Amino acid sequence: MQGRFQPACMNARLAGVLLLALWLMILTGCASTPRLAESTERALPRQALVDGVPFHSQREYQCGPASLAMILNHSDVDVAMESLIPQVFIPGREGSVQPEMLATVRRHGRIPFVLENSFDALLTEIAAGQPVVVMQNLSLPTWPMWHYAVAIGYDLDTEEMTLHSGEEAERIESFRRFDATWARSDRWAFVAMPPGEMPQSVGQRRALEAIATFEQVQGAQAALPAWEALVARFPNSGMGYFALGNARHTIGDTLGAIEALRNAVRQREDLGAAWLNLGLLLQAQGEDGEARRALSRAADLPGPWQKRAQDALET
Amino acid sequence: MKTLRRFLSPLLILALVLGSVSVSAAPLPASELVSTQAALSAERADADRERINEVLSRAGVQEQLVAQGVDLAEVEARVAALSDEEARQMAEQLDQLPAGASVVGALVLIFLVLLVTDILGLTNVFPFTR
Repeated sequence: MQGRFQPACMNARLAGVLLLALWLMILTGCASTPRLAESTERALPRQALVDGVPFHSQREYQCGPASLAMILNHSDVDVAMESLIPQVFIPGREGSVQPEMLATVRRHGRIPFVLENSFDALLTEIAAGQPVVVMQNLSLPTWPMWHYAVAIGYDLDTEEMTLHSGEEAERIESFRRFDATWARSDRWAFVAMPPGEMPQSVGQRRALEAIATFEQVQGAQAALPAWEALVARFPNSGMGYFALGNARHTIGDTLGAIEALRNAVRQREDLGAAWLNLGLLLQAQGEDGEARRALSRAADLPGPWQKRAQDALET
Repeated sequence: MKTLRRFLSPLLILALVLGSVSVSAAPLPASELVSTQAALSAERADADRERINEVLSRAGVQEQLVAQGVDLAEVEARVAALSDEEARQMAEQLDQLPAGASVVGALVLIFLVLLVTDILGLTNVFPFTR
């Protein structure tokens, strides 16, 4: 038995070379020029370049703070890269991690929206005039070299991206090379927008979560325009109206809150929390009849708020 | 633990009672309504357990960040700006999270492989290969 395996051992070097070649061929096969959905391709202009994105050259490990400074400055937040470093950089990791990139955007009064991980979403945002922070692994998965850059333009005819990256402003990268390096972060990308504006390509659930987290950090007053924008974009979002109602209530606009909560239950009859809040607010306003109806709807719906609704009915 | 609990429970009850007294004086304070964040997380599973884990993980993240050299004066504000989900992610796997930095450990073999992949357009490690 032993003898039969010996030739394989002797040819290990050759086998290794062949394997490496095969592996590279497989890799090349995987990395092809990314394809856009036909509808996206028709909707987008052939070329786009976001004007006036300031460039900050990174110092050794500071591509995170540099990228943040670029998109925040573009969004009219006056913050220097030097003051972002202690807010996002982790000395022990010699880099910045994704959750903290988003958290830092929130601290500066902008809402970070993580994009759907597709090439279509990325180009759609650039065409809409938004610089997009992308995370790339410039090296191979085994020896990662993680990097943040800001995508600011594309050209569908030459198949090239334009990025503010590292120490190079308006660096041109082929679609193919860019997508190969970007795909290694599962195509992670985000934009930073002031409350009241939303990305073109964002879905309802992602938008809800993004704004709710922003509200947790910056408060209801700051988040209010974002909730208004959300229900304008998704008029059938019961959860959106519910959030709008809560934010209005927190800043003291009771009537506005009641109106929003009525819309919430109109869009989603099963939203127990909205029935409960509506009932409580109406009760405080002395509208006992409608309050009872709302509270009993909440009390009928199974869920975490059922008990509170039943208690409120008894008082 | 038991004695601690015996000592803490009356304090907690007192705090809650005092809390609700001041609350019932106002017409209808925000804290009585179900918050947007609570309703959203209730739509995900296991809201209660998440909430407990979240408190624990935020403390954990602070500790880890300090251990990684983050300034003490900054750490609280940094953790406060994370969502619950992000705090949990950081607490569980800060070591595995990719950190954008753009530096690679350079051995000769790695250098050669990366040079080839750079030329093939798969990677973008060396600026001179473009």
